[in-house]
Amino acid sequence: MVHILGINLPNGALVRLALTNIYGVGHHTARRLCARLQVHDQCKVSDLSPFQITSLASFLSSPATAPPLPRFPLAKPDYVPPPPSVSAKSLIDAFMEHRKTKALKNPDPLKNLKIESELRREIRENIAHQRMIGSYVGRRHAMHLPVRGQNTQSNAKTAKKLNRLGRY
Amino acid sequence: MSLISSISRPGPSTSLSRLLKPQFSLESRRYAAGEAGPVGKAGYLQKLGSAQKSKMRKKLPMYKALPASQLDRPILVSNKPQFDPPVFTPAAIKAATAVGQPFVINPKDNDPMKCFGIPRKLWLEFKLLSRPYTVVREVTKDIIQLLEDAKQSSSANTRVVFTGRPGCGKSFLLLQAVESCAQQNWVVIYIPRAVDLVNSTTSYAYDIRTQTYLQPWYSFQTIQRMLTVNKEAFTKIKLVEDLVLEKSVLAKGTTLDQVIEAALAERGVSVAQAPVYLEAVMKALEAQTQYPVILAIDDMQTLYGKTAYRDPHFQAIHSYHLSLPRMLMEFASGKRSFQKGAVLGAISASQTTHPIPLELRDALDLHNENYRIASPYEKRDKVLVEYAKGLKNMAVPEKLTLAEAIGVFEIWKEQQVFGREKFFYDEAFMGKYTESGGNARDFVWKGLLATLDT
Repeated sequence: MVHILGINLPNGALVRLALTNIYGVGHHTARRLCARLQVHDQCKVSDLSPFQITSLASFLSSPATAPPLPRFPLAKPDYVPPPPSVSAKSLIDAFMEHRKTKALKNPDPLKNLKIESELRREIRENIAHQRMIGSYVGRRHAMHLPVRGQNTQSNAKTAKKLNRLGRY
Repeated sequence: MSLISSISRPGPSTSLSRLLKPQFSLESRRYAAGEAGPVGKAGYLQKLGSAQKSKMRKKLPMYKALPASQLDRPILVSNKPQFDPPVFTPAAIKAATAVGQPFVINPKDNDPMKCFGIPRKLWLEFKLLSRPYTVVREVTKDIIQLLEDAKQSSSANTRVVFTGRPGCGKSFLLLQAVESCAQQNWVVIYIPRAVDLVNSTTSYAYDIRTQTYLQPWYSFQTIQRMLTVNKEAFTKIKLVEDLVLEKSVLAKGTTLDQVIEAALAERGVSVAQAPVYLEAVMKALEAQTQYPVILAIDDMQTLYGKTAYRDPHFQAIHSYHLSLPRMLMEFASGKRSFQKGAVLGAISASQTTHPIPLELRDALDLHNENYRIASPYEKRDKVLVEYAKGLKNMAVPEKLTLAEAIGVFEIWKEQQVFGREKFFYDEAFMGKYTESGGNARDFVWKGLLATLDT
């Protein structure tokens, strides 16, 4: 059993499905997270390396402050790898130096990812804002009734059960 | 009842596991903040403890056929003489009477079939047949002759891809070629399901040195299998340069079996470095002239198409940026070659998620009525065009000849899959042969196995 931010991910589950147990992470975000960590589709939670688990946990603890992802170069057909005498560290350092000169394009959408308590707080704040400005949406939340124009003559059971100002 | 009727209907495990899918996880997520629960009492599954729930979640085991020794009931005992065709050997298949003759493959422990595996459709067929029976065709003899000629020349001169209608026998032909080479002491590298290289089922990691995404686990499996199959040859082939690893160096001149055994000994560390080991082994095989090498790839079109892998920015990774497909395409295109040997590939129509890409169709000239019309204005990937250059198309005949079809019929008849006393075998044969139009797969699966008696 792997614990990430207090959420238990079952060992036998596929990682891209287990991540959806996190509040705020659906299937698309889970796939993006797997791609970020270079986790393949059929990887089970028990197959994750400790490095991958720690980098996942550190990313999810604050996605906004995560270091930007580098765009690594990809080999052309005639590329010949350097000999083993050139260390991997020197290659990475050379790449990082070169990267500083390039402007960053296409910002990472996962930077704006909100999960768990942050996401719940945002939803609570949105509902509170609607109530504060005295809008129809706010009033409906306060009355435990459907917000988006659904029928109330019949049905509306879910709204009556869940809609409230202190939701989440 | 037929032997395969138990396979054709869905097994109990599918329906039962759906019924037992627990509901509790949905409820706990909805009420995670400790809000009031649902109206009404907790259901049966919510009341269960977690240990019981995990027990129920366990799936039923796969139902397997009983071994022949346990089939001792009188009704299952047959008085007919056991079907005993000749063994598939290079000498036996060269005989003039071999065409249309059924053969049986007796795989040893180091057989490529056992170590590398076989494509799914062949695996299912051999499971039903209980032994790997195969029929030698005219085209088999042509391939054997081609490989005889390729034995003494570079693999860049013999890069052939089998094409043809679905079910015409491409994978079987490739397997026959591989078996024949294995028995003639060639070095065999057989990739029966190249789709597994590109469908994101094995681990991948970017490597700054090669500027590609390595596939450590598949590379490890490949070197392990190569050692098992080619053990004798690997005791004589040596490394052409020093193999520099993270914590050790294997000197030039070390035999390949020692190299791979060193990798297998420290499995925990070696899996990550398996692509380095594989690259060194392939370089050694390229340089040596003692043994001809056959590189056989089934599902070859998957190497030239889209992959399911994504980079950290969620951009799709091209197949030529994955280490193993890149290496296979380099050999297929002639950029790298063995001193002696051949590269054989087979297109697969079973991979519906991986249609034949345009670049491969252009290289093999597959623009006929069997494929969708491709406009010359459609974009072709220049890199893939380069990697598909020089591939030769070998069209496998669409129809089995009568003699070949008789051989196939005989195999299934002797397995007592269909037929009874006073059954009209001749009429059944001619009827099913005509209905299937000579297509091998249709003849077996939609013909012989779909009779009213099966």
